[in-house]
Amino acid sequence: MSMRGSLLDGGDFGGRARDHFDWALFIVASLLAVIGVINLYSATSVAKLGLQDMYIQQVYWLVVGGILATFVAAIDYRHYERLGYILYAGGVVLLLLVFVLGRDIRGSSRWIYIGSFSLQPSEFTKLGLIIALAKYLHDDPKSEGRQLRDLLGPALLTAVPTLLILRQPDLGTALIHALIFCSICALMRISLKSLTTLAVAGAVAVPVVWMYVLKEYQKQRVTSFLNPEANILGSNWHAHHARVAIGNGGFSGSGFMRGTQNQFLFLPDQYSDFPFAVYAEDWGFLGCALLIFLYGFLILWAIRIASTARDRFGAVIAVGVGALIFWHAFFNLGMVTGILPVVGVTLPLFSYGGSSVLTIFVGIGLLMNVSMRRSYVSPTRRPGLAFR
Amino acid sequence: MSNLLLTRSDVGEFRRRFRWMALAVFLAFVVVLCRLFQLQVVSGSDYASIAHENIIRRATLSTTRGVVRDSQGKILASSRPSYNVHIVPGRVLPSSRRSIRKASVDEADTWPRVADALRLNPADRSRFEARIRAACAGDEDTPGRRGGRDPKTSPCWRAMLVREDVPRDIVAELRQHQTELAGAEIVAVPVRYYPYKNLGAHMLGYIAEIDADTLSKVRPAGYDALKTDERGQVNPLNYDVGDTHGATGVEHAWESYLRGQRGWEKRVVDARGRYRTGPEAERLIDAPKRQEAIVGRDLRLTIDIELTQAIERAMRPHAAGAVVVVEVRTGRILALYSKPDFDPNDLSGGSGRARIREAFGRMYSDPLRPLLDKTVTGAFQPGSTFKPFSALAALEDNVMNPDETERCDGFINFGRKAFRCTHVHGKVNMREAIGESCNIYFAKVAELAGMDRIAKIATDFGLGSKTGVGVNPESAGRIPTRAWYAMRYRGQFRLGFTINAAIGQGATAVTPLQLTLAYGALANGGTLYSPQIVRAVETSDGSVVQDFPPRVRQQVNVKPENLARIYDGLYSVVNDPKGTAWGVRDPSLDIAGKTGTAQTGYVAKPEDDPKLAAYYAQNHAWFAAFAPSKAPEIAVVALVEHGGAGPTQAAPVAIAVVREYQRLAAVRAGREAPARAPARKTASAPGTPTAPAAVAVAPAAPLPAREPAEPLPPLDAPAAEDPPQ
Repeated sequence: MSMRGSLLDGGDFGGRARDHFDWALFIVASLLAVIGVINLYSATSVAKLGLQDMYIQQVYWLVVGGILATFVAAIDYRHYERLGYILYAGGVVLLLLVFVLGRDIRGSSRWIYIGSFSLQPSEFTKLGLIIALAKYLHDDPKSEGRQLRDLLGPALLTAVPTLLILRQPDLGTALIHALIFCSICALMRISLKSLTTLAVAGAVAVPVVWMYVLKEYQKQRVTSFLNPEANILGSNWHAHHARVAIGNGGFSGSGFMRGTQNQFLFLPDQYSDFPFAVYAEDWGFLGCALLIFLYGFLILWAIRIASTARDRFGAVIAVGVGALIFWHAFFNLGMVTGILPVVGVTLPLFSYGGSSVLTIFVGIGLLMNVSMRRSYVSPTRRPGLAFR
Repeated sequence: MSNLLLTRSDVGEFRRRFRWMALAVFLAFVVVLCRLFQLQVVSGSDYASIAHENIIRRATLSTTRGVVRDSQGKILASSRPSYNVHIVPGRVLPSSRRSIRKASVDEADTWPRVADALRLNPADRSRFEARIRAACAGDEDTPGRRGGRDPKTSPCWRAMLVREDVPRDIVAELRQHQTELAGAEIVAVPVRYYPYKNLGAHMLGYIAEIDADTLSKVRPAGYDALKTDERGQVNPLNYDVGDTHGATGVEHAWESYLRGQRGWEKRVVDARGRYRTGPEAERLIDAPKRQEAIVGRDLRLTIDIELTQAIERAMRPHAAGAVVVVEVRTGRILALYSKPDFDPNDLSGGSGRARIREAFGRMYSDPLRPLLDKTVTGAFQPGSTFKPFSALAALEDNVMNPDETERCDGFINFGRKAFRCTHVHGKVNMREAIGESCNIYFAKVAELAGMDRIAKIATDFGLGSKTGVGVNPESAGRIPTRAWYAMRYRGQFRLGFTINAAIGQGATAVTPLQLTLAYGALANGGTLYSPQIVRAVETSDGSVVQDFPPRVRQQVNVKPENLARIYDGLYSVVNDPKGTAWGVRDPSLDIAGKTGTAQTGYVAKPEDDPKLAAYYAQNHAWFAAFAPSKAPEIAVVALVEHGGAGPTQAAPVAIAVVREYQRLAAVRAGREAPARAPARKTASAPGTPTAPAAVAVAPAAPLPAREPAEPLPPLDAPAAEDPPQ
């Protein structure tokens, strides 16, 4: 067996990997990417000249992401398991580099600049964290309920990048890291006593975080959220106009590139954090329902992949990527529709950004990888979602 | 490779979790979907209307204030464009900005060139530069607030007024170099313009920015919440903050005609306040899309500005006074002249706020009170010009035979005091008493007629009550009666009060306009007219909307033969060698009138400026007249405040007015109907007492052609600047 063959064909799975190509995952992800680019075109059509070809940039990123995802999917994921901690450590080093090389933009430094190229390491550390946690859990099988000290390792793995990102500061991304950790924890069997202790600790942590960790503007976003119609011209400008844009879409939408809130520049950050408001205004409730169906399907599909995964590593990877997409989508939609405070979290495949697109596509590549190398499922049970 | 072949770890621990995870994901998306349903379907129409309001703005369509013309069609007040230059600090001085919206390479500081073009002096220049830097210093980014300061509130992007009323050549220069002067903007605003400057200023009035008191009356608290028709009730003229309105004079009294009505037009505007045009934008505008502005009405006054020019010339030697000319047979006011005066152009804003402040400061400190309209607001003791009415009272009640004489020794003893006459007149009858203005004779009149009879006649002729001219706050003046004295004085009523009343002294006070109208009634046989200052209301294209006919206020019930006696006396004042005005008469003019020299009762106080005290100690000089004496056309009253003697100071002014009136009449008659002979010169032989018959109201003559007003260029409001991102 040649090295190349073993890598691409997945060793003992033989030729089955190619037969297991996950068409549903591929189609849903592609649909989201296409809709996302079309929406980005509408969103930036009114922006000033420099931003108007943003959607072309996004297409470039999607192409690069697709190629990357193909490679990621092709290489048997058990190789990633071996490299798990190295990938993780690479991400953390990049985060540290941000403090050295990063430039201050609007009060926070998140990017590394390499020539004309900019890179947001905090996007990639999400994947690094997922792989590291997967490796940890893979190597630490437990049959009885886990105690607190069993969680110490995963918690430390999470805390390092999260705290670094919080220092940038980038509350949204730090939150996503923490939530990925929580989602993966939800997979584990934890003893009731530990669970209770965690709940109490969490209750204590909330006021402490509010008092000492959160910055003034971050607190302001939460208070504005609790009082949405106050200060519309100031801190609530984004949230208010996003809500108006969504409502203005009505049942069937204003039509492509006809939403007035976006066309007349009432939506700030319409290409980064608020593309959904543009989409909702253009396509209305019908379009939104379709989009939510697609996201929902993608995430449930990820859970299904996890449930059929051959090993613990694959299952945690699938759940981790599913959680990554879920929390991004849920927080972004929640923020834009006003059921959650404004936290800068992107909408996967809708928001403009190379690092974000690459991260999601590599994640989908990982999903495809796990899906293609899943354990045998009898043909009678394959249709539909099978959760066991 | 070998480790790849090892048995994989067991996934049993996770098995039971997937179902719950899927449920949680499902529920989370159901919540989002419900929220979307609520936003888009349940309250979609509410948000749609908010979104609509966001992009639709009612742009005001400006209106033009009506033009005021004199009786001959000459423009007295109109609007002209004034060019103000505004700058946007962030664009004229990009180097002063401190944000991520930092100056790009192609942006250069244009401020020095703008300042050069505006010919700013070094002091102003550095002052504005400091203001620009201060405005942009705060325009930096604050952490966490994306994009830094909101461009809508940053003074760096708000237009700043640099120079008002820029001359046209500078405007042309600015327009020519527009590209190199980025950030400077020329805004044309309408400014009221009075081509005759000071002439007739009191009567015309001026325009001022609406004051806070008036504004709070027409826009009370909660005004913005009112419905359109309710707004119309409290604020019929639709005043807004910063609007101008007529402050005094005709501009104020006829505001509702002159003002016009602004219109509006719905426009599509984006979040930065920029207007969007084109079919896409048009599609978004809902009906009604536009309400046209209504231009203010033009006014045609009864005033003759050329006559007023002559008055101004005649009054040049005098510091203060008033002249009124009224048409005897219509009550139309040909001239209302008050001195000292002011230039309404200074007060109406065209030359900038500093100029307004300076002008007001000057006028408030002037002891001669230039803002006061002495023709209607000032009430003065009429002195001897009142005597005809006292005499008429004695005649009407048959208490005196006008042919009997009284002996004037220059004084009469009266209690412990002596009542003095101007000089020893000897034996005088009524005609001579009026002609030579003998006070001793009128002491007898007072004694015989009594105060209340005199007051009755004076009141019948409109003295001591408001005339209803409607322009500027009017003083009623005062004609005292016994009842008034009973209220005012505790002590016993004295004959001295009546004597003072009979010669227009003491408590008696009249406005020049009242006296003119009363003399007009004497001249026309007893018809007292309501004064009229606006002849007609016209549209901007010249068609007459309303032509106001003369209005008779009341018919005074006096016997024509008594009126003839008075008329005879008034004729002798000018035309008898012993008459008081004989010395200053113009033999070519046919005038009847009465001089007056009113003591002002001023007692110098030690703190008074001696120069002013000497001025105030002088008597008021009066001359009240009508002309021509046979068939009177106009009544003229000239008052020279603290001018001294009526015959020498006031009479020449009135005579000059009559001369000019007749000259103008001749010129205009010649222009309109060259065939007709010039105005007749009648000089009846002295001593033939004939009263002019009561004349019917003159037929409405067609209005003379009017001077066209210069149309205003399109005016625009200063637009908000769009900040670069």
